[in-house]
Amino acid sequence: MSAIELDRVSKTFGPVEVIRDLSLQINSGEFVAFLGASGCGKTTLLRMIAGLETLNGGEIRIGGRRIDSLPPGARGVAMVFQHYALYPHMTIRENMAFGLKNIGVDRAVIDARVAEAARILEIEPLLERKPGQLSGGQRQRVAIGRALVKKPEAFLFDEPLSNLDAALRVRTRVELARLHQQTRATTIFVTHDQVEAMTLAERIIVMNAGKIEQIGAPMRIYSRPATEFVARFVGSPSMNFLPVDIDRAGDNVALTLAGGSTLATHIASKSLPANGTFRLGIRAEAVRIDPQGLVPGKIEVVERLGDRTHLHTRLADGSTIIAEDVGASRAASGDAIKLRLDPAEAHLFDDKGAAFHAQEAP
Amino acid sequence: MSDAAAPTRRFRGADNLPNWRNGLFILPFLIVYLGLLVYPLLWGMWISFQQYDMFDKSATFAGLTNFTNLADDPIFRGVVRNTFVFVALTVPTFVVIGFALALALNRPTRSAAILRAVFFGASVLSVTIVTIIWKMMYLPGRGLISLFIGLFGLAPISFLTSANLALPAVAATTVWWIIGLPMMLFLAALQQIPPELYEAAALDNAGRWRTLWSITLPSIMRTFIVVVIYEIVAQFQLFGQALLLTQGGPNNTSRPIVLFIYETGFRDWNLGYAAAASEVLFFLMAIAAMLQYLASRRSETH
Amino acid sequence: MAARGMVGKTWGDRIVLGAVIALAILWIVPIAWVLALSFKANSELMMSTSSVLHPPYTFKNYADVMATSGVFHWFVNSIVVSGTATFLTLALASLAGYGFSRTEFRGRDILFVFVLLGLAVPEQAVIIARHQLFTDWKLHNTYLALIMPGLSNAFGVFLMTQYFRSIPKDIDEAAMLDNASRFKIFWRVLLPLTIPAQATLGIFTFLLYWNDYLWPLISATRPEMFTLTVGIASTQTNFAQSEGLGFLMAQAIFAGLPVFIVYLFFQKYIVQAVAGAAVR
Repeated sequence: MSAIELDRVSKTFGPVEVIRDLSLQINSGEFVAFLGASGCGKTTLLRMIAGLETLNGGEIRIGGRRIDSLPPGARGVAMVFQHYALYPHMTIRENMAFGLKNIGVDRAVIDARVAEAARILEIEPLLERKPGQLSGGQRQRVAIGRALVKKPEAFLFDEPLSNLDAALRVRTRVELARLHQQTRATTIFVTHDQVEAMTLAERIIVMNAGKIEQIGAPMRIYSRPATEFVARFVGSPSMNFLPVDIDRAGDNVALTLAGGSTLATHIASKSLPANGTFRLGIRAEAVRIDPQGLVPGKIEVVERLGDRTHLHTRLADGSTIIAEDVGASRAASGDAIKLRLDPAEAHLFDDKGAAFHAQEAP
Repeated sequence: MSDAAAPTRRFRGADNLPNWRNGLFILPFLIVYLGLLVYPLLWGMWISFQQYDMFDKSATFAGLTNFTNLADDPIFRGVVRNTFVFVALTVPTFVVIGFALALALNRPTRSAAILRAVFFGASVLSVTIVTIIWKMMYLPGRGLISLFIGLFGLAPISFLTSANLALPAVAATTVWWIIGLPMMLFLAALQQIPPELYEAAALDNAGRWRTLWSITLPSIMRTFIVVVIYEIVAQFQLFGQALLLTQGGPNNTSRPIVLFIYETGFRDWNLGYAAAASEVLFFLMAIAAMLQYLASRRSETH
Repeated sequence: MAARGMVGKTWGDRIVLGAVIALAILWIVPIAWVLALSFKANSELMMSTSSVLHPPYTFKNYADVMATSGVFHWFVNSIVVSGTATFLTLALASLAGYGFSRTEFRGRDILFVFVLLGLAVPEQAVIIARHQLFTDWKLHNTYLALIMPGLSNAFGVFLMTQYFRSIPKDIDEAAMLDNASRFKIFWRVLLPLTIPAQATLGIFTFLLYWNDYLWPLISATRPEMFTLTVGIASTQTNFAQSEGLGFLMAQAIFAGLPVFIVYLFFQKYIVQAVAGAAVR
């Protein structure tokens, strides 16, 4: 397994610069996710590592070896495509053996590797069938198996779960996590689904318009999003944003919401820039019903998810906030309630989208 | 770890970058194309500017003489006229009968399939077999048509040697031969009309003719134009039937352009003149092809 | 007629069907006529062809055809020419189609347009020069001369290019990651997926060569090189005065039989091929 380095990589399609000056380091054996909306460049970046797109600038190194001028097959990577890209007229066994045969690997070695991969992925009974006879989930496993047998330095996954139905997607996620524990392979996983990124990756690289917004462990990204984009993209439901007035008088910033209620925060006053307007960012689970709460509001829509309840509440100034209650909540649409916002979970965002968080415990 | 990571030079795979070696895939075809289509095309144009002497096979440059001679040549003018008349006879017939058959046989029943097979079957025969069949049909006195006419007590008509009937006879044979193709083209177009259109029309109480006029015809307009132009181009190239049925007679009344080219070039060995005639034909057909292109573009924007 | 949503068969339907059946019978009549004539003795036919309506019928004409006619020889020539030409066309068109659609090289798109323009060139515009070319090289009356010119037909390249384009590209990419060479991607990955297009193009090309008349007429001038089409045409001289009408008819039936049988079995493919070619 090897580390992957992207060094000031850029890519243009015609007049459009899709990726600009991007640098990134992925450690050996690490499972990272490229997360972003469609068009952000995550798939392009993956394809550049795979050799399916050229670079307009920069270098890519795998295991210290520069690979960006090598053909795809010589880079030591294996890719699992979104639509699997299996060879329709070959059997599963032939599909998996094709790559190794092309480089002249011994027949015995090929058979052994195919058998081992088939065992790990539980596709042994399918080996003599053709892709057309398999279900979507089975085809996906074959695609992974095709990558496994090559024993590559890195695995590249291009939105592999997006073609599966919801239940299968959850099951496959768990299997992929187990697979990674077994193989400890360097893996890059491209997805637009933040749940997949959160559950599978050791580090998430959030991308937007060809640039990296934030790199970090899932919980880090969740609890301390570096920009407003990341805050909105990760987490469901999306983070609440409210306009506020700032009071820098004390050590920590105090906020006044539009309706007049106040909220203390744990954000250091001196960490904020001198000028500008700010918005409060706070997640739904930090906004709860409390009779002693300081923020009054009226419930408009109640969403019951079983394990929790989302209350879409309209505040005094007309803005809406999503609050969270227990699953067995008795709240109903039309209720007038009081909300308590957890000061420790308050974030501030300036008008350029930069984030300011509570001081970290040492 | 990754023992299969770095393939040797011998086993290196492809990438999707431009590479002149990829051009080798088209090379075999390109060689044949250049040698047997492009080169003869250009050479043919060159020949059309030459005057060939039949006896010593020498050629002298003659500029546009061949073309002006063609323009003055009453036989050639007649030949062009014949070709136009032939196209005017056959193409509307193809379109009308072909469309009618497609309409009538646009059903999934087995009998419809058999009937379609009958009409299309003639077109797989070669022109020489077709002309034997129809010579036997047209034979005065002993052909089937003569026998049939004889039943009514009428004297046998010699179609193929009649100045007025020769070309129409060739046209009739041609229609019999190739009606299957326009029928199939219209059929394919009809089958692409979404059934919902018809259901909506039925709910709107549209009668048969109204449905045909307002729904069916507009939907297949593009195919209509394609069929018309394709048939025009194809029938412009009339050759085999004319050569074998009538030899272009009587008195050049059924001689089409291609037969003229054939006789001038390969019987009289007047190569320059024949080449010039072929350029004229090419020109006429290029116009037709251009019209097809423009018409199909236009119907696409509708 | 076309309104499939309408319920029930009306009288209009029946009339139309009846008319079509009548027309179909009319269409079969010429062939039936020739078939019937082939079973009558030549001497009887010389006197009157309406003798076809009553016995005696005979197989003698067919026996004579098998014994003395050049039909078999012509048939063999046609098979060799059409078969070889079809194989070569498929090979050239597949290679070129792959090159144009799945690989990158300088000038690719310009060359494709250049090749496509060839579709607009009719045979008559090149035939005189082609004939001269083969005369200069003394190649007339050879299989080579009968096979080569048709290989320059751009239709096959066009068809295969379109078909290759319809295959998703990620399969090529997977093969690249599998270290397959450009040719291996063509041969082992993509070509097997083009079988339907090969069938269509193959049948179309075979029929085209089988029924070709003008070029074999001027190139294969010696009787031993006649293709079936040219050979049958050569029997048509002096038709009216012919003493062997029955024989001629039997010969024509003989010549048309192979194509007819093939048609019966492969009708669907043939229709698809020919209709597809016309629409381009």
